[in-house]
Amino acid sequence: MTAADKSTLSAADPREAGTQLRPGLWQTINERYPGSMIRKESFVPQARLTKPLATSRLTLVSSCGVHLKTDKPLDVCHPFGDFRFMRVPSWAKHDELIIHQLKYPHDDADLDINVIFPIERLQELCHEGRLGGLTSNFFSFIGYNMDPEKFERTVAAEIAEAVVGEERADCALLAPA
Amino acid sequence: MPTVSVTVARDVTEAIKVPRALFLPWPMGHHFGAPFHRDLQRRVVLGALGLLETGDEPGTILDLPVKWAEVRREAKTLSEQGRKL
Repeated sequence: MTAADKSTLSAADPREAGTQLRPGLWQTINERYPGSMIRKESFVPQARLTKPLATSRLTLVSSCGVHLKTDKPLDVCHPFGDFRFMRVPSWAKHDELIIHQLKYPHDDADLDINVIFPIERLQELCHEGRLGGLTSNFFSFIGYNMDPEKFERTVAAEIAEAVVGEERADCALLAPA
Repeated sequence: MPTVSVTVARDVTEAIKVPRALFLPWPMGHHFGAPFHRDLQRRVVLGALGLLETGDEPGTILDLPVKWAEVRREAKTLSEQGRKL
């Protein structure tokens, strides 16, 4: 295998990008140890914090379907789901928010949004200096989607782009409802 | 980007293989505990953030061993006190 081949392979494997593993590792294992029990599917990508939480900007992403009461809700009745997401201002309080979701019990979250979307607890930690800051907006969508590939291309990609590009978050708390 | 998930569905989280997750043995829709139980909600958030700082093993799933029966009992007490803590 030439150096050019190796760089092409590593570039084509997004699971190795930005991780602690050296590029082309999986190809090396498969070449040297054919029949190895280590499979590429076993690999779990993981990024690590580059600075302390006290100086990091955190975002919150949840499939709980919460949004401002003043916003038009997502479509909870569509048989395939709604492939859009909502921005929730990180300064919002419980009384300003509402959940539109039919696929999980949210009676208790209706009483106190922090049960599923701990926005006020994060505001407190930020105020105390335990967190460096919060992104201007948090993100919410409806977890019921019948087309996972479309979901990945639309909701997941657009939230990821907003979290990194617009909000410049350093880390994310994920709450899959 | 470093991420940490808070989950109540261990089997789903194991299948998906997220970078790191905090597992609570609680019902759907109650990832951070019970209404008005500020201390417990805070404990879950801090547990997740702690894992974000220290969880360097890809695919780590950490348990927070608090039984739902305990949470309900504490929540009932809070409710009787006028839903304040």
